[in-house]
Amino acid sequence: MLRFLGTRLAQLALVVLAVTLLFYWMLNLLPGNPCVAAFGGAATQEQIAECEQDRNLDDPVIVQWAKWGGDVLTGDFGKSYLTGRTFGEALTTALPRTLLLLAYSQTLALGAAIPLGLWSGYRQNSAVDKITSGGAFALLSTPVFVLGLVLILVFAVKLNWFDLSGYEPISEGLAAHFRVMFLPAVTLAAGLLPVYLRLLRTDVIGTLQEDFVGTARAKGLPVRHVLLRHVLRPSSFTLLTIFGVQAAQAVNGVIVVEFLFDLDGVGSLLVGWVAAREFLLVQTLVALIAAVFVTVTTVVDLLYSVLDPRVRRK
Amino acid sequence: MTATAAVAAAEPEVRPRRQGRNLALWLSVGWLALVIAAVVAAPWLGFLDDPHRPLAGQPEEGPSWSHWFGTDQLGRDMFARSVWGGRLSLSIAGPAVGIGIVAGGLLGVVAGYFGTWVDGAVSSIVNVALALPALVFALFIVTMLGQSYANVTIAVTILTIPAIARIARAQALRFAAREFVTVADMMGARWPRLLFREVLPNVVPALASIAFLAMGIVIIAEGSLSFIGASVGSPSITWGNILAAGRGRLEESPHIALTTGGVMFATLLALNFVGDELLRRLDVREARI
Repeated sequence: MLRFLGTRLAQLALVVLAVTLLFYWMLNLLPGNPCVAAFGGAATQEQIAECEQDRNLDDPVIVQWAKWGGDVLTGDFGKSYLTGRTFGEALTTALPRTLLLLAYSQTLALGAAIPLGLWSGYRQNSAVDKITSGGAFALLSTPVFVLGLVLILVFAVKLNWFDLSGYEPISEGLAAHFRVMFLPAVTLAAGLLPVYLRLLRTDVIGTLQEDFVGTARAKGLPVRHVLLRHVLRPSSFTLLTIFGVQAAQAVNGVIVVEFLFDLDGVGSLLVGWVAAREFLLVQTLVALIAAVFVTVTTVVDLLYSVLDPRVRRK
Repeated sequence: MTATAAVAAAEPEVRPRRQGRNLALWLSVGWLALVIAAVVAAPWLGFLDDPHRPLAGQPEEGPSWSHWFGTDQLGRDMFARSVWGGRLSLSIAGPAVGIGIVAGGLLGVVAGYFGTWVDGAVSSIVNVALALPALVFALFIVTMLGQSYANVTIAVTILTIPAIARIARAQALRFAAREFVTVADMMGARWPRLLFREVLPNVVPALASIAFLAMGIVIIAEGSLSFIGASVGSPSITWGNILAAGRGRLEESPHIALTTGGVMFATLLALNFVGDELLRRLDVREARI
């Protein structure tokens, strides 16, 4: 187990290094001086020199990257030369919003997918199954921004149940918080739901054929007990795996949803910096996001083998 | 129960379902043909307004006989904008999927057929690429290279390759182990023949079905990019930037977002349905993107 863990962690470190180096190298292909661009074209010679010194622009790419890595590891993420705001300050405001949005939408998606997936796998071709499968198919074909626009139109503009006033922290009261967070969470969850649902349904159909399910049913256990205790448990491994894969995809949704609902989270930060040509910050953020997601995937993989010893032996 | 009896028993239940599927399949194909015909022929369609002409009608009017999708706040005809937006969105998605299928397909087939370190290298690159948030990556590329047609196409093409390669690899693995490949090998065929004449032709049906699903994904990816303002810059029209403009006018003119959103939804639904149905009929497994 230790050796397995060691290999996986080494692989992880290697991938994170490779990914950040790739982004660093790509930014270097950009014509022109990133420090000139960072000031939006209105900078004094000294400011540019200071920025160049900060970024070690005289060094070869690989040395720049190594120094950048050292800075990031010691908590120095750089700052916006345009506004003077540091990367850390921007992230402190944005990150909690994004994490809450992700947490709410994953809860909603799993909360809906587990009962629906279990039931439509158990009662194949029933009315519930047909409606869920059809719905999942339609959701898969709906871009996040189209669904979000329709939800805004119906529930915020027409019915006025929810606010579109940007973000409200939990400290402003739970009601106010959920009046702004509910629609974004539902929009994001709608993208994740069909993936979980389809996977769980297929899995459940397979598990129901197993002998231990037959035994449990023969013992006279109620259906609910069999589905939740005997059928869902092995499927939780599949859900965990797809959770890791979907985490990366969820970020695509987060960017669009935060833009759509004016949430000013990490996704909006990225879009804003891209629009303002803050390449240096974009680079750091993209590298961090990439590193986080490669880590998430690896951790899920590791968790998988901790929970299910069969994986380790293969 | 004999096999015939089983088939006879299953028949009445299966038939209406299959007919429904056939109808849906032809509706999907018909809709796609209509959309493609409209966007290809857009410059020559006499009844189509100039999508950039202001005051083609009264500003912010709902759908009417003269303006099928209504007008925006400048009085531009939304139907014309939708068609021209589709023209740009599809002309990005088409080449992106074409290149993605060829490049990803070859990469996957080579990895699956040769195995060993070739497979190891390709698989690990593909796995890392799939673990990265696609939109972040596309956003990064487009920002760096600039918001032009070519650059957006490059960005979304790069996104399709790993997903397609993974599926092509799984298919190649399956066919490389089949008897006819072994027999050809024993008869002294060299690897190019085995790869291109024995394995590749068997992977092509799966790739053809995947092309439809990939097309849907690329349309969404490009749509997301233009929605957040990072695809081909204005005054170019894309489905995504029509919807972004409609977002600000939901209260006054919901028809701007609803009509183009509806067209986009119908197109994606049709693409996914045709792709899924092809996979089902060709009996391809492990091919979801």
